[in-house]
Amino acid sequence: MAGVYVYSDNTELCGELIALARTSEQEVCAVTMSDQQGSELAKYGPDTIFVLKGQNHAAESYSGAIAKLLTDQDASLFLAGATVRGRDIAAQVAAKMKAGLISEAGSVNFCNGKISAARYMYGGLTEQVEEGKGLTVITVPSGRYAAVNNDSVKSVVVSMTVDTDPRIKITGSSPIVKEGADLSKAGRIVCVGMGFDKKEDLVIAHKLAEALGAEVGCTRCIAEDRGWMPAETYIGISGAVVKPDLYIALGVSGQIQHTFGVRDSKIIVGVNNNEKATIFGVSDYGIVGDLYEIAPLLADAIKNI
Amino acid sequence: MSNVIVCFKWVKAEDDLRIDPATLAVDLSKAKGKISDYDRNAIEAARIASESAGSETIALTFGSNDAKTALKDALSRGPKQAFWVNDVSAENADGFVTANMLAAAIRKIGSYSLIVCGEGAADTYAHQVGPRIGALLDIPVISFVKEMRIEGSRLYAVRKLEDSLEQVEADLPAVVTVLPEINPAPIPGLKAVLEGGKKPVTEFKIQDLDLEDGDTSRKTDVVSFKGCSMSRKKILINEGDAKEKVTALVAALKKEGVL
Repeated sequence: MAGVYVYSDNTELCGELIALARTSEQEVCAVTMSDQQGSELAKYGPDTIFVLKGQNHAAESYSGAIAKLLTDQDASLFLAGATVRGRDIAAQVAAKMKAGLISEAGSVNFCNGKISAARYMYGGLTEQVEEGKGLTVITVPSGRYAAVNNDSVKSVVVSMTVDTDPRIKITGSSPIVKEGADLSKAGRIVCVGMGFDKKEDLVIAHKLAEALGAEVGCTRCIAEDRGWMPAETYIGISGAVVKPDLYIALGVSGQIQHTFGVRDSKIIVGVNNNEKATIFGVSDYGIVGDLYEIAPLLADAIKNI
Repeated sequence: MSNVIVCFKWVKAEDDLRIDPATLAVDLSKAKGKISDYDRNAIEAARIASESAGSETIALTFGSNDAKTALKDALSRGPKQAFWVNDVSAENADGFVTANMLAAAIRKIGSYSLIVCGEGAADTYAHQVGPRIGALLDIPVISFVKEMRIEGSRLYAVRKLEDSLEQVEADLPAVVTVLPEINPAPIPGLKAVLEGGKKPVTEFKIQDLDLEDGDTSRKTDVVSFKGCSMSRKKILINEGDAKEKVTALVAALKKEGVL
């Protein structure tokens, strides 16, 4: 059946996509590769849940099967959650269907039978709105739409055996041991930038964080180039995207790949000895000064509140 | 093992973008070009992979005349030769068009065992060209790779998912998209830069490629492109000594309700 098809390996995100798809006033069909996720998705009330069953348990190996389903059903839109798997599947499905793909859409609009979506470019400096022509694929990150429990629709479950790509084999999986804090949930973050001269000096950032009850993050260079902090703690477009109430950047230059990751923070504070540092252009408050002097003073001042 | 082909994109340096604060119009005309940041790591990953397998690294890009500088830069990073699909449409291409061009060029190059792409481009960060190329060439894709090794004709990779690392393997030829953390991207030395300028570049025009009707037309229309206003207060505390500055900051943060 024609309509909007949604997929995400993340069930909550799939619920968000179902809620978004409802705004199209078209049929809403969820696609999954497991009976278990299929039953979990029922509470979000898609009209139909297609459970695809193949030999290979790698989700990416279903790209061909999903493209075939969308073609057979004459789908108008394929929405995929912008997870690692979702991005990969979306791009392969789009290629197989000769379709356009709007990646990481912050908002999606259905208007007069047309579909448009807005996305950031240039590390969040610019925003581009694109309109789909024909069947379109869109990926949407989590948290953009709210999942809605919908008991009023009794989903029809359709199980089908499909061909999967046998060429990719997943041989193992291990959880990522988070060495650092879960920055995405932190209310306050102190960020370490290249203004720190040596690894031992990070104690200054940790002391300030302790006074604030904050977590410590860093820029990509600190984690990747200097190896001073775990990769999980670097903030930016390719790392953690955070939204604390208070974000304090110590010796951070403010390259946009980094500041993209903090753009949703409530208050941004920059401390840098270079008055012309980019960070001041994206800060609410900036102190021009030596972080080695400012950070300990700030820690003391906060302890005395 | 046959060639390792690394695809890279020549992008506008975002630091040079000018945004009119009143109209939010974006001026790209003054922006210098650069090899997309993530692609620099990809070029090095390709170099390492081909070195370990005793094969040759080939750099490939789709770009307008602007990309000429990019080729020298890419070649100074290790590849032995470069291929360039030269067309002005690259400046306005979407992932559909770009992947069609690159896949067609790869078919024309003919001999390859591994295609390496960055996880995404520094300008669009759309994460689509690598997996699209795999689908178009009908070869396996392993995306978001943080480690890889080749043994014979098999590729072993570790992918980074949101909460887990996944061990994945596939027969070559295959496409990988690599994370920047796969390896550093060393800045080429003077000798490498000089050598890079002497390495061979093969230029393709669109008509040289085996493309179908429609392969060169965008699949989405760009309705608008404008700057985002980062509505920050931008209050610079620059008065007094360090202690006075800190006192002023604490007072401001208290007023904001974040302390």
